[in-house]
Amino acid sequence: MKDPITLTDSKTMAYINMYAVLGTLENLCEIDPVASAILSNQKPISVGFDVAGGPKATLYFKNGRCRMEQGCTDCDVKLPFSSCEKFNGLIDGTVTPIPSKGFQHIKFLLKVFTPLTDRLSALMRPDPEDLKDREFFETSTKLMFYTISVALSQIANNDEIGKFSAHLIPDGEISFAIKDCVAATIRVKDHRLVTLKQKCEKPRAAMEFDNLDLARDLFDGKVNAVACIGEGTITMKGMINMIDNLNRILDRVAIYLA
Amino acid sequence: MSFPIYEHKVSRELFDRATKVIPSGVYGHLGPAEGNFIPVCDWPLFGDKAKGAYFWDVDGNKYIDYMCAYGPNVLGYCDKDVDAAAIAQSKLGNCTTSPSRITVDFAELMVDTVNCADWAFFAKNGNDVTTAAIMTARAATHRKKIIFVNGFYHGVSPWTQKIDYPGVIPEDVANNLYVDWNDFEALEKLVAENEGEIAAFISTPYMHGNYRDNETPAAGYWQKVRELCTRKGIVLIVDDVRCGFRLDLAGSDHYYGFEADLICFCKAIANGWNVSCLCGKESLKGAVSSLSYTGSYWLSSVPFAAGMACINKMKEIDAPKLFREKGLMLTNGLKDAAANNGFDLVVSGEPALFYLRIANDDSMMLHQEWVAECVKRGIFFSSHHNHFINAAMSDKDINLTLEVADEAFKVVAANHPELF
Repeated sequence: MKDPITLTDSKTMAYINMYAVLGTLENLCEIDPVASAILSNQKPISVGFDVAGGPKATLYFKNGRCRMEQGCTDCDVKLPFSSCEKFNGLIDGTVTPIPSKGFQHIKFLLKVFTPLTDRLSALMRPDPEDLKDREFFETSTKLMFYTISVALSQIANNDEIGKFSAHLIPDGEISFAIKDCVAATIRVKDHRLVTLKQKCEKPRAAMEFDNLDLARDLFDGKVNAVACIGEGTITMKGMINMIDNLNRILDRVAIYLA
Repeated sequence: MSFPIYEHKVSRELFDRATKVIPSGVYGHLGPAEGNFIPVCDWPLFGDKAKGAYFWDVDGNKYIDYMCAYGPNVLGYCDKDVDAAAIAQSKLGNCTTSPSRITVDFAELMVDTVNCADWAFFAKNGNDVTTAAIMTARAATHRKKIIFVNGFYHGVSPWTQKIDYPGVIPEDVANNLYVDWNDFEALEKLVAENEGEIAAFISTPYMHGNYRDNETPAAGYWQKVRELCTRKGIVLIVDDVRCGFRLDLAGSDHYYGFEADLICFCKAIANGWNVSCLCGKESLKGAVSSLSYTGSYWLSSVPFAAGMACINKMKEIDAPKLFREKGLMLTNGLKDAAANNGFDLVVSGEPALFYLRIANDDSMMLHQEWVAECVKRGIFFSSHHNHFINAAMSDKDINLTLEVADEAFKVVAANHPELF
């Protein structure tokens, strides 16, 4: 289903919700003490998300960490969704899923998974008052960075306008980073993008934000990237046509995640 | 010798003021983002004055300017003959209710100069006349679709942009079709797939897009395109805004041995005085006359006087020959300097509008470093765009450029011992 004004579609949104939003649980569990506490003493368990006509992925929780993998054939709990819209409803909080497998783990869903996603929501859609706490602000902004980094690839591969931008990006790796803080690699091959949540070792192009505060302002739409380049607070180098088209996809990220 | 390294304190102060009152400080192609000022600290952001082949920035640094204001500087900044003609006309009037008689003189000069021209239609910027050309083609053919060459740039109106650009809606570009440069078979196929629906094929005379080696037309390409367009009733539009008068005063279509139906001029037409011109064949004069298309300053007479002086002077000095010779002297010297320092400098496009790329890495980062080292020493190159030669550029300027380029190569080599 496509929104006639923004031209966003529910399938792309589902891919973003799966890999960029739920996928950020990986980073939440790694950097947020509150999330770590929620996971303490938790036995290994996996939760699969099976979206008809959309993405399929599994979250593995083990030793206080979380990782996401594609596919959901091997999971302890499976949550089926009849459509992308239904899955998007889970993220919006309007749909309550019913497991098709692993009813015995319902306690995990209610007592661990739901508090984790609530914590993620608190950090991703924060109360302005909470952002006055520097530690909260930093955690929130880092998580937002990872979400956006992954959303870039999902939009490039699924959204019609995103695909147009991607078809103009040559092969190679783009370094996407906040200076001395967090980094991601956007790998491009045959105009399909994959985000790796790790520093890029051999970029063909690089875009770097000077600091977390600037990145936050940019993510929140308070400053403009073109102006920041002139001010020197965003640096770019290498194949600028890669960056240029990535920035056009970044515009779409803001629309999807608004 | 070692060249002094420029600093940009005043530029930065001015830019900081600018960002408060001008969107992004300097917007567009002259600004640090679109201009690919990498790193931004090495580049001047505002100019103070310009003369001949040079401009001085607000910090007093002097540059030999190979961007020529992205083309308009064709005879040298503040050319005395062109400016004298403009000043003389300004004493008679400029933007007046009844257009000056010089409008007719200038149109006659354009028709006499440009090979395919039976008429001349004046405006201000390149975008004005590329848009006029598209509207004319649609008015004449009653068709919607336009074929573009991938990597194109024809201005800034929504029809020239892409679906993912801010402010552009899908309907703006719904009738745009795309084909690769020099691929006649693909063009022929696209025309067949859209039989009877193509209003125009628009292209620059050769591929001088950014971020890529520039490509001149394959043997016979333009002749085949011309024949196809004639056979299918497609208006052949040459966007000569960038190349116009630098390759051939009769138009770049003439240079490559074919005739456009419509041809667009701007940059080199009046040495910086603001005027653009669409020229075309008699068969399209009725269509262009039918357009509801005008502008407050389009018939200002001062730029017309400047344009006449500029074109006449370019004829006197055989400017295209001079540009080619100077372009070859420079680019051959740059290639030698690069090779002497272990770099592979690829030069592409026409010598009058040469494009440079260091090919030792696949990221352009070495190239950007080298360009920045040149700019810091007073040679204004660009890392992403073709360059321009102007008639005021002397052999001494070129030789100085080669000395600076050599030093810049040495600096980059020293910074990258892993490569050598």
